[in-house]
Amino acid sequence: MASLISSIRERNKTTPTWLKVLIPILAVGGLGVVAVLAAVVAFVVTAWLGQPVPVLGFDQTFEQPISFPHTVHAGTGQLTDASGGLRMNQHGEPLEALGLDCTFCHRTVTTQASAYVPPVAQCAFCHQAIGPDSSEPLTQLRVNAGIIGDDPSPINWRRVHRMPDHVRFVHEPHIRYLTANPSAIGNAADGVNSAASVKPALTCSTCHGDVAAMEQVEQVEALKMGQCVDCHRDNGAPTDCAACHH
Amino acid sequence: MAVDVDKCTGCQACVLACQVENNIPLNTQDRFERNRSIAWIRVERYWEGEFPDIKARFIPIMCQHCENAPCEPVCPVFATYHNAEGMNIQVYNRCVGTRYCANGCPYIVRFFNYWEPVWPESLRNHLNPDVTIRSRGIMEKCSFCVHRIRRGVRKADSEGRPLNDGEITTACQDSCSTDALVFGDLNDPNSKVSEMKKSDRYYTLLHHLGTNPNVFYLAKIDEDREVAHASHESEGGDGHE
Repeated sequence: MASLISSIRERNKTTPTWLKVLIPILAVGGLGVVAVLAAVVAFVVTAWLGQPVPVLGFDQTFEQPISFPHTVHAGTGQLTDASGGLRMNQHGEPLEALGLDCTFCHRTVTTQASAYVPPVAQCAFCHQAIGPDSSEPLTQLRVNAGIIGDDPSPINWRRVHRMPDHVRFVHEPHIRYLTANPSAIGNAADGVNSAASVKPALTCSTCHGDVAAMEQVEQVEALKMGQCVDCHRDNGAPTDCAACHH
Repeated sequence: MAVDVDKCTGCQACVLACQVENNIPLNTQDRFERNRSIAWIRVERYWEGEFPDIKARFIPIMCQHCENAPCEPVCPVFATYHNAEGMNIQVYNRCVGTRYCANGCPYIVRFFNYWEPVWPESLRNHLNPDVTIRSRGIMEKCSFCVHRIRRGVRKADSEGRPLNDGEITTACQDSCSTDALVFGDLNDPNSKVSEMKKSDRYYTLLHHLGTNPNVFYLAKIDEDREVAHASHESEGGDGHE
């Protein structure tokens, strides 16, 4: 032991000063490189398996230009505010969510490829009369619709669910099949599968999650090809590549 | 698909229709001069006879969707394969751009994207949303307008009825003013293509290679049988077997 210590002391004497400075720097730098690599690998692995960690703009949800609450329009039951208290109207009665069907606004979903986001005029059908003047998002909406002011303009909603460009997803057959076969509906909100009659809208939750309960829409499912193929296999849908990639 | 060569006038409407339907990048002069232009369907012209007894002959050539396709086994990533409907499918997102398939194709109907496709601003809105835009480094070819097939199948499904013959048309067929191109189901014995296949003018291109194409041709009718017969031998396809 003593000889080992003495040999280290001997080496210390012979090591040049610049090397003594450089070795700890290199050690710290090496650790840093390892840490960065580990972070990158962890990000890639999580993104591969499910949804990417919400950093660097990989968020699953976006701040929309107007904070449209799906809870009010599509949800059910009494509405609560941020602190958990009941929301009241001007007569002091508790407000109830509307429970609208998804297809009330996303009208083309049962007939066409895309479920369109309604134009601002469609919001204005109701909101030129309904909703308090004091509401800030509604005022913004009325400006966009041209009810307030004289400069109507469309709302630039940010898209939350986006398929890659080489995938051709068509809503119509999916909604049609799931409406006819409620047993195939997955991830549904409670009570959907037991419902006697399935509305087209209830099938949406299979891929979009329970949007009616979301204050701000986020992507719940990873929507990777594996999920598509699993579901297509289970339900006898085509698994030919050209069914979606063309 | 059946091609009645006798009806083809060589007008090139099919070429243009295909170009527009399938988001094919513009074949500018520099691309053409480098033999890198892309045309999923082309109309080849042959001269028959000697001047002044000369005749122009046209033959539209697109991917033949061979049953025994030389392009398929050479792909290292299975980006091209044969599907259950008898079509040769090109999967763009699998393709890594080795170009082996284009080298293997005797009909020269596979095209490589040497550049990122660009369109002038004025043409941006004309792009077909049902067809993927192929980026640089991707092989592409005639898909038999597979998006139209999917659309037709979907429509028949939603209306709960079987698909009718002639319901699905390709873009080239729609544009053909003489109905030289006919698309249909060869498995259906009553379809128009099945009827055409029984014709004694039936032949396939490069028959001797054994690729067994799903596109077949009906030979030109000509009073001058000798000239017509000679041309068949020079093309290598024998129409009268």
